[in-house]
Amino acid sequence: MKILVAVKRVVDYNVKVRAKADGSAVDLANVKMAINPFCEIAVEEAVRLKEKGIASEVVVVSLGPQAAQEQIRTALALGADRGILVQAEGDLEPLAIAKCLKKICDDEQPGMVLLGKQAIDGDNNQTGQMLAALTGFAQATFASVITVEEGSAKVTREIDGGLQTLSIKLPAIVTADLRLNEPRYASLPNIMKAKKKQLDTVTPADLGVDPAARTKLLKVEPPAERKAGIKVADVAQLVDKLKNEAKVI
Amino acid sequence: MKQFAEQFKAIVGDKNVITSKAEMAPYGIDRTTLWQPNPSLVVRPDSIEQVQQIVLLANQHNIPLVPSGGRTGLSGGAVAKDGEVVVTLERMKRILHYSAPDQTVTCEAGVITQHLQQFAEQQGLFYPVDFASSGSSHIGGNVATNAGGIRVLRYGGTREQVLGLKVVTGNGDILDLNRGLVKNNCGPDLRHLFIGSEGILGFICEVTVRLQPPPPPQSVMVVSARAITDLLEVFQCSRKTVTLSAFEFIAQQAMDAVTAHTGQHSPFKNTSTTPAPCYGLLEFDTPNKANTITDFFAQCQQQGWIDDAVISQSERQSKELWQLRENVSESLSPHKPLKHDVAVRMEKLPEFIARMEVKLAEEFPQLQSVWFGHLGDGNIHLNVLKPEGWSEQRFGELATEVSGLVYRLVWEMGGSISAEHGVGLLKQRILGRQVAGTEVKHWLAARNSFDAHSVMNRGKVI
Ligand SMILES: Cc1cc2nc3c(=O)[nH]c(=O)nc-3n(C[C@H](O)[C@H](O)[C@H](O)COP(=O)(O)OP(=O)(O)OC[C@H]3O[C@@H](n4cnc5c(N)ncnc54)[C@H](O)[C@@H]3O)c2cc1C
Ligand SMILES: Cc1cc2nc3c(=O)[nH]c(=O)nc-3n(C[C@H](O)[C@H](O)[C@H](O)COP(=O)(O)OP(=O)(O)OC[C@H]3O[C@@H](n4cnc5c(N)ncnc54)[C@H](O)[C@@H]3O)c2cc1C
Repeated sequence: MKILVAVKRVVDYNVKVRAKADGSAVDLANVKMAINPFCEIAVEEAVRLKEKGIASEVVVVSLGPQAAQEQIRTALALGADRGILVQAEGDLEPLAIAKCLKKICDDEQPGMVLLGKQAIDGDNNQTGQMLAALTGFAQATFASVITVEEGSAKVTREIDGGLQTLSIKLPAIVTADLRLNEPRYASLPNIMKAKKKQLDTVTPADLGVDPAARTKLLKVEPPAERKAGIKVADVAQLVDKLKNEAKVI
Repeated sequence: MKQFAEQFKAIVGDKNVITSKAEMAPYGIDRTTLWQPNPSLVVRPDSIEQVQQIVLLANQHNIPLVPSGGRTGLSGGAVAKDGEVVVTLERMKRILHYSAPDQTVTCEAGVITQHLQQFAEQQGLFYPVDFASSGSSHIGGNVATNAGGIRVLRYGGTREQVLGLKVVTGNGDILDLNRGLVKNNCGPDLRHLFIGSEGILGFICEVTVRLQPPPPPQSVMVVSARAITDLLEVFQCSRKTVTLSAFEFIAQQAMDAVTAHTGQHSPFKNTSTTPAPCYGLLEFDTPNKANTITDFFAQCQQQGWIDDAVISQSERQSKELWQLRENVSESLSPHKPLKHDVAVRMEKLPEFIARMEVKLAEEFPQLQSVWFGHLGDGNIHLNVLKPEGWSEQRFGELATEVSGLVYRLVWEMGGSISAEHGVGLLKQRILGRQVAGTEVKHWLAARNSFDAHSVMNRGKVI
């Protein structure tokens, strides 16, 4: 079975982002970029399925600028076999991404498509679901356990207040949640090997997709500063303030 | 000393003199646990003038004082075991002045190191001195101990950041040292005498430090090598290839202790099968060209210096890899280790480790030693573990002999018996009697000059 994994280039999770002074966008100058953490988990899962002999080939796809090659190379260093960059500048919306992935699914015929449950930049949580609708594949989102069986997969999903286990037919779309696995480190010998792996570049136009945005970003602003705390003299004053000022009790 | 409580109250106000045993409990100690704290009073001044009056009072009545910062010290410098009066600068925590043209900040000595780091960040700048206790330590304590930490290789220790100090000497003089200037060649620079003086010359009350531009994104790489000599080759090679921020060293036993203690996986779980005798951790500016690192790795591998390496792909992975190094100390603590914080010049490091291991094996074959540290600074933490089944007392009886052996070789090879944790009470004897030679005479003269009645940290350091 071939597994297709989608990875997105985003600002590193641990970087404190700043809005540009004019509020037009997030300032990306001199900022560390990385694979979206949920996508990294998806890659790890695909590689593990390959190591178990379940997957025969792992193909990673990234949609983004030329520099997104770095994230594809990382995924190749982690153990993926081949990469495809769909090169497009500017912000891509989930629907455009899902349409490109749909076309790649048509060409590649994967048995499973693994994606992160959401990208930490836009927080949209839409691409996997849209792709499922476009391909007509089964879908299981927020996966924390994946067990592949003959022609189907059992997927445990993280839902509010508990877990839900589904059995889905393959081919299927599965989106990875945080607890699915703990991604490995990229080793230098594998980074070197990854350089020789095949990486093809196409454009949305090649795939017959118009990537133009359907929404317009009006403004980006930082969250309101937290007000400084105050010191209360005693418990009585605390209770009084909680009751009468904060009105929480 | 309790009889002086009223006079101290007259200086700092009633509620800033602590007299009850319960309230004094957190004071008069640091992170060592070898001595029973026993301060007679704790005094909390709010200004340099109050500090001066405290010192003058102490001189008048021969009251021994112990300066107290964040009490995270590891050598007993802030311990008050003999009924001294503890003077804590915890109320003196104001940031006094930020100068954008000078890229400096002036603050009171009680500012917590982490707050200074955060203040720098708010200005779009960076205060580079950092270590595991920076959430509690004070900038005054950092100056008093010349604290080092994880970025000394790149930025130097606390000494390299300090452009000015306001101090109250043990005689009660207020000195304004170097006044925040970059250039000042007016006589010997007393600022540097106070940096690292561990409270024996006077109180550090205000500090001016330089700030740095924030470093670009960093990568962390862990390499596995067969020998420390190989790691030193990697160090030299890496210095020419990337802009290093840190180069740390973790011996196999230390790595095993961390993975066993914390449950964290070895970074080579998925790649190597055989464990390596030692690991190096490198942090550096993420290079612009992807090939820089692979070429560097290929070169090191061809030379046979390293077998394998991993590199962080995200800040999260960088942090995890750092934890392998930062958790060593804690992971060894169940073995009640005898710790040595020593330094030798880099060129002597392999010989030092080899000779030390032979000597230890000859004289104490029953003891296991574990090596790790800031390799890029020539600073090694040698921990000798208490053998399984031994009582602490039985192990303790060997301590003087074992440490004596370590320190003699360190000194013989031109090294330091306390690379970053200072002398305090812990190494006072060894420093004075065994190793420091004629320098001691001049230290005593300096001490006498600044603190004629020896009210400051009596019985510490020298
Ligand atoms: C987990 C951990 C990790 C650490 N890692 C490092 C490390 O990597 N590098 C390193 O260098 N250290 C390290 N330390 C040691 C310690 O944190 C540093 O020595 C720190 O600088 C001490 O600051 P402090 O404010 O806690 O000083 P304290 O412990 O309160 O005092 C230290 C000494 O300075 C004197 N002193 C304090 N304030 C003043 C003042 N205002 N004027 C005059 N004298 C004063 C005290 O009398 C005492 O002798 C570590 C400690 C811990 C617990
Ligand atoms: C054209 C010109 C340009 C200059 N530009 C600069 C400049 O940009 N920056 C700058 O800082 N200076 C500058 N100087 C000043 C001078 O060159 C420096 O101060 C230099 O360091 C002096 O070195 P020297 O060997 O000539 O010392 P000397 O003039 O011989 O001695 C200087 C002092 O040091 C003492 N001394 C000398 N050797 C020793 C020793 N081994 N041990 C103990 N004490 C010793 C002497 O007794 C004397 O007090 C300049 C001078 C000239 C003429």
